[in-house]
Amino acid sequence: MTQLMGTESPDINALPGSPGRSGLFGFNRLSLVLLALPPVMFISCQEGVSTTVSVSIKARVDLQYDVVRFKVKPGSKVTLTLNNTSDMNHNLLITKPGARLDVVNSAMKLAEKGPQMDYIPNSDAVLWSIPIVSPGQAKSVTFTAPTQSGVYPYVCTYPGHGFIMYGVMYVTPDSTLPDIRNDLNIPESRRQDDSVKERKDARTQAVPNPHPYALIPPYLYHVFIEGASPAAIAVHLPNDLSYCWDAGTCRLRFAWKGGFLDMSDLWKGHFDASAKVLGDIFFRENTDYPIRLGENATVPIVQYKGYRLVERYPEFHYTLNGIDVYELIRPKSDSMGIIRVFRIPHADRKVWFFANRQDDAIEYEFPAGHFKDRKLELSAVEAKAFTIIMTSYYLAYKNKEQ
Amino acid sequence: MKSIISTRSLSLFLCFFILPFMSYAQGNVSESYRVETIEMLKGLAAQTGGIDFLPDGRLVACFVRGEVMTYNLKTKEWKLFAEGLQLPLGILAVSNSEVLAMQLSNLIRIKDTDGDDHADLYENATSDFGISGNYHEFNYGPVRDKAGNLFFALNCASSGGGVRAVVRGELNKLGRDGIDGHKEMFSVVPYRGWVMELTPDGKLHPIASGFRSPNGLGFDLEGNLFVADNQSDWVPTSSLYHVRKDHFYGHPASLVWKKEWKNRDPFNAPITELDKMRTRAAVLFPQGIMANSPSQPLVDMTNGKFGPFSGQLFVGEINRDRILRVMLEKVGGEFQGACIPFIDGHGMRIANNRLAFAPDGSLWIGQISFGGWVGGESGIQRIIFTGDTPMEVYTMSLTPKGFDLTFTEGVDTETAINPVNYNLRCYRYEYKKKDIEEGVDVATQVDVQAVPIISTNLSKDGRKVSLIMNGLKPGFIYELKLGDIKSAAGKLLGNKLICYTLNKLRT
Repeated sequence: MTQLMGTESPDINALPGSPGRSGLFGFNRLSLVLLALPPVMFISCQEGVSTTVSVSIKARVDLQYDVVRFKVKPGSKVTLTLNNTSDMNHNLLITKPGARLDVVNSAMKLAEKGPQMDYIPNSDAVLWSIPIVSPGQAKSVTFTAPTQSGVYPYVCTYPGHGFIMYGVMYVTPDSTLPDIRNDLNIPESRRQDDSVKERKDARTQAVPNPHPYALIPPYLYHVFIEGASPAAIAVHLPNDLSYCWDAGTCRLRFAWKGGFLDMSDLWKGHFDASAKVLGDIFFRENTDYPIRLGENATVPIVQYKGYRLVERYPEFHYTLNGIDVYELIRPKSDSMGIIRVFRIPHADRKVWFFANRQDDAIEYEFPAGHFKDRKLELSAVEAKAFTIIMTSYYLAYKNKEQ
Repeated sequence: MKSIISTRSLSLFLCFFILPFMSYAQGNVSESYRVETIEMLKGLAAQTGGIDFLPDGRLVACFVRGEVMTYNLKTKEWKLFAEGLQLPLGILAVSNSEVLAMQLSNLIRIKDTDGDDHADLYENATSDFGISGNYHEFNYGPVRDKAGNLFFALNCASSGGGVRAVVRGELNKLGRDGIDGHKEMFSVVPYRGWVMELTPDGKLHPIASGFRSPNGLGFDLEGNLFVADNQSDWVPTSSLYHVRKDHFYGHPASLVWKKEWKNRDPFNAPITELDKMRTRAAVLFPQGIMANSPSQPLVDMTNGKFGPFSGQLFVGEINRDRILRVMLEKVGGEFQGACIPFIDGHGMRIANNRLAFAPDGSLWIGQISFGGWVGGESGIQRIIFTGDTPMEVYTMSLTPKGFDLTFTEGVDTETAINPVNYNLRCYRYEYKKKDIEEGVDVATQVDVQAVPIISTNLSKDGRKVSLIMNGLKPGFIYELKLGDIKSAAGKLLGNKLICYTLNKLRT
């Protein structure tokens, strides 16, 4: 097979970048040079060729080529370098127009022969190829672009990569390419993120509902979010209010007004992504812990139990030193703050609720108990069910300004 | 420039593409099984983290954006059961109104207590494990044994990300390699890289360590627990482990949470010490050949409704359009055995993350595209057995002098005894700390050797071929490439590549 093809392709060069692998590339019909190159270095491989288009493509950690499309003029000389900046192995095969999936499937059918063949199938549909490039390495291929205009896919055929890791070489005398947003030759995820302007446009567009049902507050997400443990729950309330309750530490962490959350990075699985708060944080809890059970009690040991939806509002359940506590948070009807309803059904002693230290712009109201020195003192009977109303002076003022 | 397709290259093209495809199509898997796509609810990002069947026969599935939905197989109606979870990657039906789901922060028990088919109670079944907030600390499971104990697995964190400013659980910096830590997976909060057991008293017990990305747990019919793990910076090819209490399975990061380890640096412990401690995989999945990212093992408990493989395990593969089949046997008191593709293609998507048998015996598959590195299209499909028995290797069993291959159907003597149809080689993968310069997914076969078949012998019932060879060696994978063997009725063998993990010799 290889020998036959080799006679068709007399101008093969296998250079030290691919020791012992030259036979595998016998099917490449044009001059092909493989070099282990330092990143971003281009070498014209033939004497006497005046211009060589150099294209440098990086393999990214997210199984994408950083250059998702490029154009060359028909018949031009091209040096393509694959610089692997990811932590996985990748190759790059340029295929005949429309042949990407066939080639990907043929690579998978190599089965046990795949590893030693660099997952490059013996196929006429493969025009040029760069074998497996290890992380931190670079290899190049030089070829003459077809004289015939067309759309030539390039793809990584390492098993599993070929369905998402690809791009396209446009061979065209034209100076423009089709609108990237409608370019079906590139992965869907890449059809807008290559220009800052387009990203900006996308941000101002209305976000489509991410779920197959209407999102009517109250509703919640378990999230990673700044300012809480990684076991946080964010709840969106009516009246444009939201709060973050930390199931890791069993306490309200902060509350905000405005939009709810931008979940896009988190849902995409981006490294170290967080849900982003879309609003003004008007309250951030800063006590050691807000509830004490008994006279001069220390910070209790907390245990998270879960929550029940009461008229769709979550009522959190946790224990403090083994005593059950329930906490439900509603919006104030004037949108200026929140109403926190606590239940400690088995309270058998006095309970203290600690307000924040005096440096926040929150006004507290307590229908029951005795408030002194930023602490609310409740009798055991009062503690069985008590309410704390928190109004933000900051929000009230901000509202008047508008 | 030459024309793109010359006559000769066209014939080569036919040779390389059309012919394998044709023989592939003739293998009767295509007549024995068909793949159907389930229509998902419009507007749902169908990245499927878990699937199971409720006692009343409805499917229950959870998705990356936190939805838990039910699907009525008869009316084809989707209905929202619960919402708001963070990356749930496993679900277990408890009753028609209750499920357990494994999300990033906890195992959560979700109940509908008021009978409106929508959950209103979300109980914390357990959260007694650490979260550093690293994006890669996925949690898998749960599965339940007959006594009601629940098992789930905690992924290690990835060097692709960091840890958050606030973590849950004690931070132990020894769980990350100080020298090569920027590349290796790590475990800096409790029990990352462990399989956990939640007993009915609500206590959580770390039971087995040494995992990297144990994306899938399942029991066999006898109640043995198997966990599929992704290849890593230590165990270079993906594995199926028989999980037992207090065993260690190879990735050292998790050792920092083992009392007996006494807070030593696990990454720079002598490899001989780690190798001696570890329990080897019952089955290795050669990288780039069988699977790069195996998912859930599921035992065929359909008693023939799904074909002839009752009691064997099916294992999903995330990296391509494949479900694998695993056949196990006990040799020297330990499980070992073979893996073979069960079905490739046939309209099946890639990223086959979760498996469950429906009451009618069809195999449902949940697919997930996630994070850019898990590719393909999300959704749910099912595989239906048509009733036409496939011509396949039913079991591959080690003998003192070779292997016995039993086929699902009586074989055609001429093709079955021809040694040309048995191309055997063996190789192994080295257990070691991967070189810092090597790609995380590089799996190098070492000591690759061809193994000549000395003789073949067909059993009287015409279903079993005994292969005899010299010098079988423990610690090697025996990769058998079968030729065009036919059944007595003339059906071509379907899947022809099978890999046996030989840990112990048969004496």
